[in-house]
Amino acid sequence: MYDFTYHRPETLADAEKMFADADDGQYIAGGQTMVPVMKQRLAMPSDIIDLERISDLKGISRDGNVLSIGAMTTHAEVAGSGDVAKAIPALARLADDIGDPAVRNRGTLGGSIANNDPAADYPAALVGLGATIHTTSREIPADDFFTGLFETALEEGEVIVKVSIPVPDKAGYVKFPQPASRFALVGVFVAQIGDSVRVAATGAGPCVFRVEAMEKALEKDFSASALKGISVPGEGLNNDIHASADYRASLISTLARRAVAAAE
Amino acid sequence: MEKYGIGQPVRRKEDARFITGAGTYIDDVAAENMAHAFVLRSPFAHAKILNIDTSEAENMPGVLGIITGQDWAAEGFATMPTKAAISKKIDGSPLNQPPRHCFAIDRARYIGEPVAVVIAETREQAQDAAELVEVDYEDLPAVIDARKALAEDTPRIWDNIEGNVCLDFELGDKDATEKAFANADHVVSLELVNNRVTAAPIEPRGAVAEYDATTDSYKLQNATQNVHANRTTFADVLKIDAESLHHLAPDVGGGFGAKNSSYPEPPILLYAAKKFGRPMKWVNDRNEGFQSDTHGRAQFSKVELALDKDGKFLGLRTRTVGDLGAYCWTNGPFTPTGGSARTQGGPYNIPAMYYSAVAAFTNTMPTDPYRGAGRPEASYQIERIVQHAADTLGFDPVELRRKNLMPTASLPRKTPMGLDVDSGDFPEVFDRTMKMTDREGYAERVANSKKNGMRRGFSIAPYLECSGGMPKEFAGISFTKDGTVTLRVGSHSTGMGHETSKPQILAHTLGVDFDRIDFIQADTKATPIGGGHGGSRSLEVGGAAVLKAANEMLDKAKVLAAHLLNSNADDMDFADGVFTDIKTEQTIAIDDVIAASFEQGRLPEGMEPGCLDTESIFEREIISCPNGAHAAEVEVDPETGAVRVEHYWVIDDFGPIVNPMLADGQVMGGVAQGLGQALMEEIVYDDDGQLVTGSFMDYALPRADSIPKMELGYYEDAPTAKNPLGVKGAGEAGCCASPPAIVNAVLDALKEDGVAHIDMPLTPEKVWRAISEAKK
Repeated sequence: MYDFTYHRPETLADAEKMFADADDGQYIAGGQTMVPVMKQRLAMPSDIIDLERISDLKGISRDGNVLSIGAMTTHAEVAGSGDVAKAIPALARLADDIGDPAVRNRGTLGGSIANNDPAADYPAALVGLGATIHTTSREIPADDFFTGLFETALEEGEVIVKVSIPVPDKAGYVKFPQPASRFALVGVFVAQIGDSVRVAATGAGPCVFRVEAMEKALEKDFSASALKGISVPGEGLNNDIHASADYRASLISTLARRAVAAAE
Repeated sequence: MEKYGIGQPVRRKEDARFITGAGTYIDDVAAENMAHAFVLRSPFAHAKILNIDTSEAENMPGVLGIITGQDWAAEGFATMPTKAAISKKIDGSPLNQPPRHCFAIDRARYIGEPVAVVIAETREQAQDAAELVEVDYEDLPAVIDARKALAEDTPRIWDNIEGNVCLDFELGDKDATEKAFANADHVVSLELVNNRVTAAPIEPRGAVAEYDATTDSYKLQNATQNVHANRTTFADVLKIDAESLHHLAPDVGGGFGAKNSSYPEPPILLYAAKKFGRPMKWVNDRNEGFQSDTHGRAQFSKVELALDKDGKFLGLRTRTVGDLGAYCWTNGPFTPTGGSARTQGGPYNIPAMYYSAVAAFTNTMPTDPYRGAGRPEASYQIERIVQHAADTLGFDPVELRRKNLMPTASLPRKTPMGLDVDSGDFPEVFDRTMKMTDREGYAERVANSKKNGMRRGFSIAPYLECSGGMPKEFAGISFTKDGTVTLRVGSHSTGMGHETSKPQILAHTLGVDFDRIDFIQADTKATPIGGGHGGSRSLEVGGAAVLKAANEMLDKAKVLAAHLLNSNADDMDFADGVFTDIKTEQTIAIDDVIAASFEQGRLPEGMEPGCLDTESIFEREIISCPNGAHAAEVEVDPETGAVRVEHYWVIDDFGPIVNPMLADGQVMGGVAQGLGQALMEEIVYDDDGQLVTGSFMDYALPRADSIPKMELGYYEDAPTAKNPLGVKGAGEAGCCASPPAIVNAVLDALKEDGVAHIDMPLTPEKVWRAISEAKK
């Protein structure tokens, strides 16, 4: 790890000032990606600004049919929240299945989506649920937030404050783990809200994406059998030693059916 | 006393230290004024080193100096020799051994090969500076696949070694085997891979080296599993007297063979300690470990089995290409040759066998013995071809195996591979395992799996392997006035529990208090010789040495006891720690005899205080043959290809069990390691020689939830006469049996899909693809 200056601001305003003043500042949330990357000397920020102490970024609340989760809420907090379990049990289970206890106690929702690892779980949930990402300067629909491989719509210095998630009628998430890392080799999130259905796949491509053919079929008939015969082309999907593109495509179909069957 | 006797599940004495963080591993070791070394490794699989510019790096803060391959070459140090037990080709000429220096001097031949070493005040400073060492490489074509390495038009890795061949090898009766095949009713054949894996011990490699100029002597603390053999090698490389090198290992966190190897870093560190006049520390990180720890397996084989019309085995023929990597490492050439040949055919009665192999060089990290060193490969080969024979010829796989096992009455015997099988009851062991597996409930379990869209499969895998490692071992017992007993051994535990099992043998034999026994291992000053750890040798050779020393000590104690009781040594009986005169029924406890041994006035003529201290060396003449039968039941998800091992059953014959808790640990660990090879572990280099599985993000190790419930049992009624404990090495058996048990169970599950073979590891994608392709 290279040397850097560590800051731990108490307010968002202080954090933004520190970032602006730094030569090459880097916000850090739970550090579950950033710290390993720095240990491997793949990043050399001059300043690390730790968002841990900023209370405005934390907490889970429900207002009517909208669930709000602060950006610095840990996976363990999401997994253990009664509000989440009641509103979107699939989301609680998703959080409970990220990494291991150490990762879940440190890693945060905001950190995960800001990093936008192609194999992360939360992007599937936020796109699948049609969530909105609230930042220090604006509100961004999840569909527009995840823009590419490790890329998001966030501007330089922009900080995620919270996400707001409409409570669905039903939602299900099934992931198939990559054998080594246990990240999602493919994960499919399915949600039904009124007449609308969303299907989001993570792990399969460079960035989370929706499967419209499946959404249309499920809007007509929200059942696993409605997905029969609907396949996703392998073209453009990830291809590595753990899974070829056509295997990933096949997993999307299988996991989508299972996610529908598991939706509650 | 019985609580700590042989056969008792004594809890591991060392665990209190290990699990409370009080162990001393190499990274916990520090010396005053210590400097740190960082190894700059080749990022290319094959490249010329045209120039190394260290000028900028040398001026970095904290840097004491930089050693390059050219500097090393200028010192005139020796190369590291291979010590493989097979050292000649079929024609009798020596194997082709390329010079293995501690650095890549003008050409790097694998990713991770040391190119330069930076010495600095801290590891961070050394690493910072290493980034500024400018190495001018000229990339050369890399040879990655051992089979392609042998092709005529493949570039040479070593200019003077034609065809990239290290050696060829054969064992068995070629003519008799050919005749058996010619006369057979059936011949089945299969090409299969024993995938390249890495040991991934929880503790990476590392060392601390010190040099004392006043005595011109060295001290090396090293995360190794073999201090004596490596001392000789390191001293030879540095051209120093081995006696001047004190080599010891602190607590070592796993080795599995990979820490037996002689590596380049320790001699470099010893040299640097002298050159810079400072103690030197180096510890690998995990990524360096993936690159530079020796790998295992990496064999490509064609296996053929000849049968008569009733399914009786007539002949076995195996042809293997072994991948040695870029050099002959410490014992690398042995594994695909002699190591894999000896136990060909497993526990089956096969009258004619022939094994041949060629070992090839590639631009990869060299391979060396890894838990089993050829025997797991052989076990996988025979069990896969037997399953394949059953599947393709229509025999019941359980019955086919059962009827071809060596009959009990045929023991002792020598197999056509020369393996001395003296004891065991293979049919009985097989039947006991089958009995555990609840065949009655199997149909229902299959039906339940089907109902959930799953497939279920079962296989039994009998195995016969052998022990190995250095045949000689030392044990020393010494006593002090305060009643402490010190046991020094040349065998070496890297986590197997010798601190418990060896004192257990001593406590059992002498009747002294188990808790009063201090244990010393892995120290060249504490024992004159030592074979370390490897080949499942520690109990049968090391334990036998303890027993021998204890019995020799008792012979002396008997004389003293007789003197103290004014009786005759011939009349002394010894049991449960008490000497009894069988005529007078007078008794004296061993503790009192030991106490008396320090009082000159109570000693008979010819005995001196401390006379009960005893040193002994045991030498094994013939290796033992651990055997058993494992069985696995698996569930396969045909839609995703995921495999789950649902049940696992074991009966092993290791002779009498000294500590069943430790034996269970060895079996379970071995099974888990084999499960890893069967289902997920594989070192992958891409075509350019880049290491794709360079971290745990891509190299899959089994985790707790990958491991099935295991039911274990032991067959203890056939002790071997090859050592006085009657034991047969237990350490590697698990990973001999579990890959074939698991792979065959998966293929049994996929029989209805028409899948005939999948190469390890049986990853979800491979299983899914095999099902998809069989459908076509």
